[in-house]
Order: sequence, then C-alpha cells, then structure tokens
Amino acid sequence: MTLQNRSATTPEPHGRAIEISGLNKWYGAHHVLRDISLDIAESEIMVVCGPSGSGKSTLIRCLNHLEEYQEGEVSVFGHTLQRNTQSDRYIHQTIGMVFQSFNLFPHLSVLQNCTLGLTWLRKKSDSEARDIAMSLLERVGIANLADRFPGQISGGQQQRVAISRSLAMEPKIMLFDEPTSALDPEMVKEVLDVMVNLAKTGMTMVCVTHEMQFARQVADRVVFMEDGEIVEVGPPEQVLLNPQWDRTKEFLDHIL
Amino acid sequence: MSNKTGLKQFVAKPARLPTQNDQTIIRRIHSRCFNTIGNSILTISVVVLGWYVISAALDWAVFNAVWHASTRRECMNISPEGACWAGVISWFNGLIYGRYPTDQQWRINLGFILAVMWLFPLSCQKIAYRNFILLSWIGLYPFFGAYLFLGGTFGVDIGVFHGVLTCLASGFFILLYANWLLAILNKPHLCEIFQPLASRLFNRWSQPLCLLFVWLVLSLPAAAVLSQVQLQPVAIERWGGLFLTLIIATFAITMSIPIGVILALGRQSTLPVVHWLSLLVIELVRAVPLITVLFMAVTLLPIFLPSDMELNKLSQVLFAVCIFAGAYMAENIRGGLQAIPRGQYEAAQALGLGYWFTMLLIVLPQALRLMIPNIMTSFISILKDTTLVSIIGLFDIMLMARNISNDKDWIGLHTEPIAMISILFFVLCYSMSQYSLNLEKRLKVDRS
Repeated sequence: MTLQNRSATTPEPHGRAIEISGLNKWYGAHHVLRDISLDIAESEIMVVCGPSGSGKSTLIRCLNHLEEYQEGEVSVFGHTLQRNTQSDRYIHQTIGMVFQSFNLFPHLSVLQNCTLGLTWLRKKSDSEARDIAMSLLERVGIANLADRFPGQISGGQQQRVAISRSLAMEPKIMLFDEPTSALDPEMVKEVLDVMVNLAKTGMTMVCVTHEMQFARQVADRVVFMEDGEIVEVGPPEQVLLNPQWDRTKEFLDHIL
Repeated sequence: MSNKTGLKQFVAKPARLPTQNDQTIIRRIHSRCFNTIGNSILTISVVVLGWYVISAALDWAVFNAVWHASTRRECMNISPEGACWAGVISWFNGLIYGRYPTDQQWRINLGFILAVMWLFPLSCQKIAYRNFILLSWIGLYPFFGAYLFLGGTFGVDIGVFHGVLTCLASGFFILLYANWLLAILNKPHLCEIFQPLASRLFNRWSQPLCLLFVWLVLSLPAAAVLSQVQLQPVAIERWGGLFLTLIIATFAITMSIPIGVILALGRQSTLPVVHWLSLLVIELVRAVPLITVLFMAVTLLPIFLPSDMELNKLSQVLFAVCIFAGAYMAENIRGGLQAIPRGQYEAAQALGLGYWFTMLLIVLPQALRLMIPNIMTSFISILKDTTLVSIIGLFDIMLMARNISNDKDWIGLHTEPIAMISILFFVLCYSMSQYSLNLEKRLKVDRS
C-alpha cells in the first residue's frame, strides 16, 4: 500500500496562518516526518489525530520551533522560520502552546505563572499585568485559585491555567499538544469547554487530540497521520464518518 | 434512600478518628528495648558504655575543671585530672578578635552588628526595592566593612574608589532604614515622596533617577561625617581569630553562589569555548586539595599579576577560597539544573522567554531550591575548611588556638583550646543546618 501526500487546499478564503511545505525530519536514522505539506488558514480549527508514534506531536512542535527539522519550510503569516533568535522571537510571540503535561512553573503561583511573560517580556506594570491575567483566569473559570500554587490544584485546573498563561501573551495561533491526555476522565470536559469557547473567538488552533467529539464539534478540518505522513485531510464529517483509507478506518474503529 | 431520579443517593460514611494505642512509658520501653534477651543485653551494654563515656567527659570538662588560674602550672597543681579552662578564658579575646588592638575591638562588633542589621529589613515584606537589599549587602557592605576594620583617613590610607563606595554604602544604609520605617508606618517610600519633583526634572527614567538622586543626597552627609572621623589604622596582619574566619567564610559563601552559577551554566553551554573553559576550571580546582590551591594563590598569583600590583595575603586567600568553593558549588548547581524537567524549558521557550530569562526566572530558582540541602552542606564545609588558612600563616581561630600552647604561661595547653573551638564551630554549623531545614520548608518548589 502506498500512501500519497496531498497538500490540502484551504477551504475558506481567509489569509494563510501557517504554510508547511516539504517538511522532513529525522531522529538519527528514524524518518519521523515525511514530506509534510499543509496549509492552515486564519481562524481555522485543525485537529491532528493518529496512532502514537505517527509524528503528530513532532509536527506541531516543529511549527513553533521547539524541534529542529532537516528539510522543508514552515511559514507563519508569511514569515519563514529560520534558525535565529529574531525569527524565534517572532514565532513565540505569534504562537502559543499548551502541553500534555501542563508544564506550569511550580515555584510560581497561578497568577504569577500568567503575569510572568507580561511583566518581563511585554514590560507591563504589575497592576496592568495582574488585571489581564485575572480577566483570563476569570474566562477559564478559576479566578478564585489565583493565589494557589500549581501543586495545590487539580490537573484540569492546571491545564486551564496553562491555557491562560499562553493567552496572556496574545498569540494569534494556539497549538495544543494532547491537552487532555494526562487528565482524569472527569476533568477532560472542563478543559475541552475552554477550548471550544476559545474556538468560538476566532482563534487559529492546531490541536493534537484523540477527543473525536471535540473534533466533530468544532474542527474545520481533521488531519489523520500515520508513520510520519499525512494520510487524509478533510472536514470532520468526511474524515471521521467516511474515511477514504483503510488505515484511517481501522484507527477510528479502535478509538470510537 | 432514593431521590426523584429513582437512583439511590450516595452518602459517605462519617469519618472517624484513628484508633490509638495507649501505652505507659514503662510498657513502651519494655516492648522496644527489653522484648528479647538479645535486645536486653544490647540495651544494658549501650547504657553502661554511654555512662562511662559521658561521665568521664563530664569529669574532665566540668567537675575536675579549673576555671580560675593564672598559669598552666597552677592549673596542674589544683587539679591534674581536669581541664584547664582558665587558659582558654584568658585567651578568649584573642580567639575571637585575633591580635586586633583591644581598644579598637568595638569596630569589629559594630561591623558585625551593622552586617546583621543590613539584612534585617528583608524580614519586612512591604519594603521598597526588597531585591536590592541582598545585592547591596554583597556589593556595598564589604567596602564599608573594610573601611571600618582597616581604619585610616580618607584620601590618605583609603583610596578614592574605596572612599566613595564606603560613603555610598552608608547612604544606602540610611535609605534602607528610612524606607523600612516608612514601610512599617504604611507610608509611601522615600523615592515615591520625591517622585513628583523628579518627574518634573527628568522626562524619562524618572523612577531610577529619583532613586539615584535620593541615595546620593543621603550619601553626602555620610561622606561629610566619615571624612572628619579618623579611625586608627589597623594592618590586615593584625586581623585574626573568629573574626577573620568569619570574614573568609562569609566572603567565600556569598561569592560561591554567583561563581557556581556561572560555571554551571558555562559547563552546560553549547558554545565550545565557554563549555571547555568552565569544565577546565571546575575539574582542575576540584582535583586539587584546598591546601595546594591556597599555597598556589600565595606563591603563584603574584607571579602572574603585573609586578606593580601588590596583593596582601588576605586577598590572595580570599581569591583561592572563592574559586575553590565556586567549583564545588558549580557541581551542586549543575545537579539541580539537571533535575529540572525538559518541559519547563519548553514551556519557557514557547512563552518567548529567551535564554537568560528562562534561566533566571524559571530554571535557577527551582534548581537552587532543590539543592538547598547540598548547598548548605557545601557552605558548612567551606566554613570548616577556612581553618586551613592557618597553615599559610593567617591568624585565624585555629592558629590562635594553637598559639595558646606557645604562650609561656600556658605552655603545652593543646586540648582545651581545640575543644573550645570545636564547640564554637558546632554552634555555628548546627545553626546553619537548622536554618537550611527551615529554608527548605519555606521555599519548597512544589507547594502542595
């Protein structure tokens, strides 16, 4: 069976947020990303799914330069990623990221986690940073926990803090790397609700997730990956309900 | 029990207290120490052995000891079996202050009190510019302390640079206590009061300029007073005793952290020159005993330096001890850096914090807190290692203690001075370790 790569066409007449072309990455001799080409439009919600080891996390980590890649090109709003500090600064200003293991700073309170970037990078005054952070914490429903430390709150609450921490920097694009995989089943919903609300605000989002309910509810397109290649791209109804490839169907049968 | 939905309603059982087993002390001792024949024999032999050791020690140190005598011979006549504390008592001043002139020793006491007072406002959470207190203590206090301990007149014995910094230090001290008082009274701090004036004078940077302005204004009267005062000069050669030990140890302890951080970060750096240079310094210094480092500093350092630059023995020793302590600290800190999960670096990077912000705000605060027990262990061994400077002829507490046996009145008095400084060191080191436990509890990284 040969899998072909197809570069997906943008479904909406928006400007392009991210353009990936011919992306290849190796870990040693292991070819983890193979000729990935994909465009993501502004305000698009893209869900990336696939079995573990298929390279989906690696793909989105390449988008904000947490990983180096050997071949290909990634552009963010027309700005091509380069290996220098200036390019990194632009990328990190434009793209926010939420991790599977939250990665909150344990020595800082919830509020300090959110204000850190504002005071040190955006040079906001303490009260201004505090107001912004509090309004974001309000939005994700945990303003009452502002003075707690990450070790004192539940996983779902920690992930919502992580989302507010990213949003505080006013990114144009948000990347979610399996944001609910490390959570107890009861806490998954509270994080997904926040993501659904965020999707409604018109944020460009790329989510690696196995929450197919979420994909069906908000995604504009779903990408299915296998062995470092994109197998299928398309609207959720098409990819999830009527997959064209046997591998996609097999995967979906397993997780649905 | 069922509600409207037709499902049974879950109600948790009421919590109850854990069962307690009440035991009398006798029963507890019996069940733990005398439960088998073997244990009974062990208990009895430990008690007997303990009794022999402790009673012998107490007999020597307390019951048969001589507290008042004028010579060792007199001690021996009164009680040949006991300790002769009279010798230690008559030399006690020397143990603490070395050969510092007796009528000038108030300067050492004052310097010590000021050093502690400088740090005291840290306990006030509301004080303005709280972060600068420790920095100023490291950066400014040494100049003030050096002036106080060395003495001399401004412009004659004290150079311009040293003099200016001494005045600035006194100015900062006054500013610190003024701010502390205002913070206690819940008033705006001194710089805020002058802020309107400053913002009228300067358009930009009004806040730091205002701070600088207030500080300079407060330093002027300090300069006026200090230039009128004449302290009797005391040569560094006369410094000694616990005073000198504490100077060397405090200097090495405060410098070891910044040196250690720089070396540890350098060792982890991807820049090859920085990496190999740091590695070289760390491995070279760690592979050599402190005594040789001290000797090298005293004999080799003057050869490397330009010939017109003359260093006194104390600054050579300080240099050696700082490098030595820094190399050990670097490995402690590197251990802490490695314990920080990769996710922390990635989260910081994704937020857009660059290398220095990531290190200073995220990684180092966590690494240092994780390493508090190891860092404190290093501090304690630095304090104890400073006794080695006696070998190259600095009159620290160790050399003073050994000197007692050379005094013609107390000739051969070896044990008691050593016992005395052991007690002194125990008190110092034990309080350091207790403080570290306290710090560990207060600054736990993962507060849960």
